[in-house]
Amino acid sequence: MTRLIASFVVALTIGSLANFLDQGPRTRDQGPTFAWRLPLGFPTPRVPDDNPMTLEKVTLGRYLFYDTRLSGNGSQSCATCHEQARAFTDGRAKAVGSTGEQHPRSSMSLANVAYSPVLTWANPTITRLEDQALVPMFGDHPVELGLAKPGDELIRRLKPVPQYQRLFREVYGDNAASFTMENLTRALAAFERTIISGRSPYDRYHYGRQDDAISPSARRGEQLFFSAPLSCFRCHSGFTFSGATDFEGRRVREAEFHNTGLYNLAGPLTYPPPNTGIFDVTTKPEDMGKFKAPTLRNIAVTGPYMHDGSIATLEEVVDHYAAGGRTIADGPYRGVGHDNPNKSPLIQGFSLTSDQKSDLIAYLKTLTDEELLHDPDLANPWEAR
Amino acid sequence: MKAETNVRTTAIDSVALAVIVASLIAVTPTLRGLEQSTPDATLAISGDVSSPLTVSAREIKTMPRTTVTVSEEGRDVKYEGVLVGELLKRAGAPTGRDMTGAAVATYVVASAKDGYRAVFSLAELDPGFTSNDVIVADTVDGKPLFDYQGPLRIVAPHDKRGARSVRMLQKIEVVRLPK
Repeated sequence: MTRLIASFVVALTIGSLANFLDQGPRTRDQGPTFAWRLPLGFPTPRVPDDNPMTLEKVTLGRYLFYDTRLSGNGSQSCATCHEQARAFTDGRAKAVGSTGEQHPRSSMSLANVAYSPVLTWANPTITRLEDQALVPMFGDHPVELGLAKPGDELIRRLKPVPQYQRLFREVYGDNAASFTMENLTRALAAFERTIISGRSPYDRYHYGRQDDAISPSARRGEQLFFSAPLSCFRCHSGFTFSGATDFEGRRVREAEFHNTGLYNLAGPLTYPPPNTGIFDVTTKPEDMGKFKAPTLRNIAVTGPYMHDGSIATLEEVVDHYAAGGRTIADGPYRGVGHDNPNKSPLIQGFSLTSDQKSDLIAYLKTLTDEELLHDPDLANPWEAR
Repeated sequence: MKAETNVRTTAIDSVALAVIVASLIAVTPTLRGLEQSTPDATLAISGDVSSPLTVSAREIKTMPRTTVTVSEEGRDVKYEGVLVGELLKRAGAPTGRDMTGAAVATYVVASAKDGYRAVFSLAELDPGFTSNDVIVADTVDGKPLFDYQGPLRIVAPHDKRGARSVRMLQKIEVVRLPK
């Protein structure tokens, strides 16, 4: 449930919410070894010691993820902004919360979020899905799901539901006190960790070594993607195509954030507030405009693009990077992104022929994992009943 | 003859062995012909060597083979090829007991088709001097390298990062520091 929120509110929100979370019993929380359905070549995600994976917990999390009771007015669930068919994004430039308030940023894909050492677009302090889930539920700047703190009302709503009576009992034991916000967010996180995308044509080509799994055009595009002049792979690296990854057996890697020259406003805030990147959290001038590189997996179905959805198509995204930054000629955001003083040195621009551009985009389209988009185990369980 | 070496690095990114900025790396943006298939690619060993040579990918397959194992995104991956030191020896670069004096003040530039470059010292490529089996690889897990990697690439298994494991390798140039 990686819905996005103004990052200067996030740390405050998490801090205050942590104070009221009930430490409920977890007597039946230690299930047998969880059977991950990992794609070929994928490592086992790292799971917090205090939230081991169980099939029952994943099931509970899935029901919660798709339940509109998790919004204050009953109009939205996590899935509202994270639709399976769009690789768990919403197709909007900027998300819209349950009360109609527009979010400053675009919904991020949840594909392979289990491997991400840091969550959301621009907050290095949010590293656990269990914590992050609280933000869209209770955040009020902007209002997303719009639940009232500390969640007592939500718990009262969920308790009578037969599915939850059964699932909470199966996961956390036959105890009325198992209905807690802490146990709820644990289940949500467990479900989110199962949203693993690794069965695309690219995966059949790369891990399965099926040379014909992707087209010759896409193979040429791959060479461009990994070439020094484009260096796409430098930020969109690793098997998640999203930079640093975290998994069992690997030391936790520090996440990276990048200013890609999308804006260059006059004055100290070169990116339009509130989207000033991790500067919002760190207040360091050098962090102005730095955002996490989103995953490129399923990128063909997750537009519009960039943190604020300000680029509509993949072709235009490539144009932005080819220009070494975006120039906005008029309006409040006018400026030459190419000259942003804090721009990543990797964003230098390049020149592609139209064929090369088509090849590059053909490669990006091989990252679409149709199985993920239609996996019944990730679908709305309420509709399946 | 086949030397088997099991070496594991801390973390080499699977999709990006040739990564990370280093001050010793310079990039000349060149995309022309990058995507052309080059099954008959050659590797030139040149510079301050007595017998500059050019070897084909096919010839490399006939040379003494070395296998190194690296960890890529949690997976053990085997690269096979020929020691860079073997190629340098054939080109007449100093090795073994001759690795002294001016030889240890000599460096090697590995260059890729896309302009990417990385530098090694000559000594660290000499199997008679170190046990750092840096190879020119032509297979990964028994299969040809991917287009974006090959057909030849450097694999430096002791490096903690992959920045010097130059993909799409085209040239190895020996440069002696001026006196």
